[in-house]
Amino acid sequence: MRQFPEAGLRRLARYLVAALAATALGAQAQEAAKIAETVCAPCHAPDGNSVIPNFPKIAGQQPSYIAKQLADIAAGKRKSDAMGPTLASVKPSDFAALAAWFGAQKQAPGKVEDAAAAKVGERLFKDGNEATGVPACAGCHMVNGEGNDRNPRISGQHQAYAVKEILDFKSGARANDKGRVMRVVAERLTEAEIKAVAEYMAGL
Amino acid sequence: MKRWMQFGGLLLVAAAIATARAEEPQPRAKGIESPDYVWNEMQGEKLQALRAKGDAVRGEIAFEVCQGCHRNKALGREDGKYPRLAGQHASVLIKQMTDVRAGRRDNSRMYPFANEHVLGPQDIADIAVYLQALPSDNANGKGPGAELVRGKAMYLRDCARCHGEQGEGHGPGFQPRLAGQHFRYLVHEGRSIRDGERRNADPKMVEAIRGYTDADLDAVLDYVSRLKAVQGGR
Repeated sequence: MRQFPEAGLRRLARYLVAALAATALGAQAQEAAKIAETVCAPCHAPDGNSVIPNFPKIAGQQPSYIAKQLADIAAGKRKSDAMGPTLASVKPSDFAALAAWFGAQKQAPGKVEDAAAAKVGERLFKDGNEATGVPACAGCHMVNGEGNDRNPRISGQHQAYAVKEILDFKSGARANDKGRVMRVVAERLTEAEIKAVAEYMAGL
Repeated sequence: MKRWMQFGGLLLVAAAIATARAEEPQPRAKGIESPDYVWNEMQGEKLQALRAKGDAVRGEIAFEVCQGCHRNKALGREDGKYPRLAGQHASVLIKQMTDVRAGRRDNSRMYPFANEHVLGPQDIADIAVYLQALPSDNANGKGPGAELVRGKAMYLRDCARCHGEQGEGHGPGFQPRLAGQHFRYLVHEGRSIRDGERRNADPKMVEAIRGYTDADLDAVLDYVSRLKAVQGGR
């Protein structure tokens, strides 16, 4: 008989812990939405679909990637004149919820501006360039460019932002890639190829 | 004196540029050109990877960085620029990956995607068991089909003892599976091995094809490209 109330208490305790956790998570999500609206929206737009080509669309971006970039920028591992100071007002404990919030938004489609370049880019994206040892982008970023838990979504992205980031990988100005892989790929790409592949990605 | 200082300055600048690049040059280890070359010497991370218990689920993830060239499901490319890896023996894959990392097999293209910044010995073991279990198929690139009788005779005489009558290879002996491989890749490697350019080659293999002309290699490898090995093999 003595077992009963103990088991009952344990159940109650489990329930309370779960309820508290759910409330805390709910509160964090609400907090994330508030941060998105007040801190991020001026550049990335309220739903993460930035309309300024220099600022990336982050709607539908892989949450693991967003969280890593936030942490890297906060730690100075990824330099960003725009993001660095802005991010100082956000608590690192909110990064995960913020990443999940933007990841859950729907990405607005991009637009190809140079169809001929996009055609060249398509070949690079799907096949790489065997003459210079450039692997296909599709290998890590998936054929549709949506990425996965380990690699970012690159589909539908603004050309101007994509070109700048790949050029920064090429020059080493951006160096927070895993295993140096993106820097090596970018070093092997020509500027014309970078522009071409950014055109193709925008239309994905 | 001034010229020496200029030269020193140039060296410093060159060093700074070299270190700024993410792409590191592949190291160079002793290979078949060296009198003290020991084929498939059991040491270092090769031994570590061979002893590690590979996990195919982790291997599929670790292989992502490779599939930009070797393609999804590791079927390689018909033009022979990137070999088929699906169905290859895990031991062979471990040997080749660690040979590239150590600089016993020259491949500066692949090196930055397989070096220690990207993969550790456990990843290598994981990738190897993942690839070994992947199905190959008979849609690989074939030769012209003109000299298959002559090719078969040469294969059975000189190659089958190590690589198996069906090209299934032999995992414990590190002899690669050949069946399902793209003809153009086989020709490229066959010539490199014969000519001493593939520095991690087995000297027995070099000896076996020493007298082969390009036409002989084409004939035997055309036959090889049409072999249909049972999955896994020995």
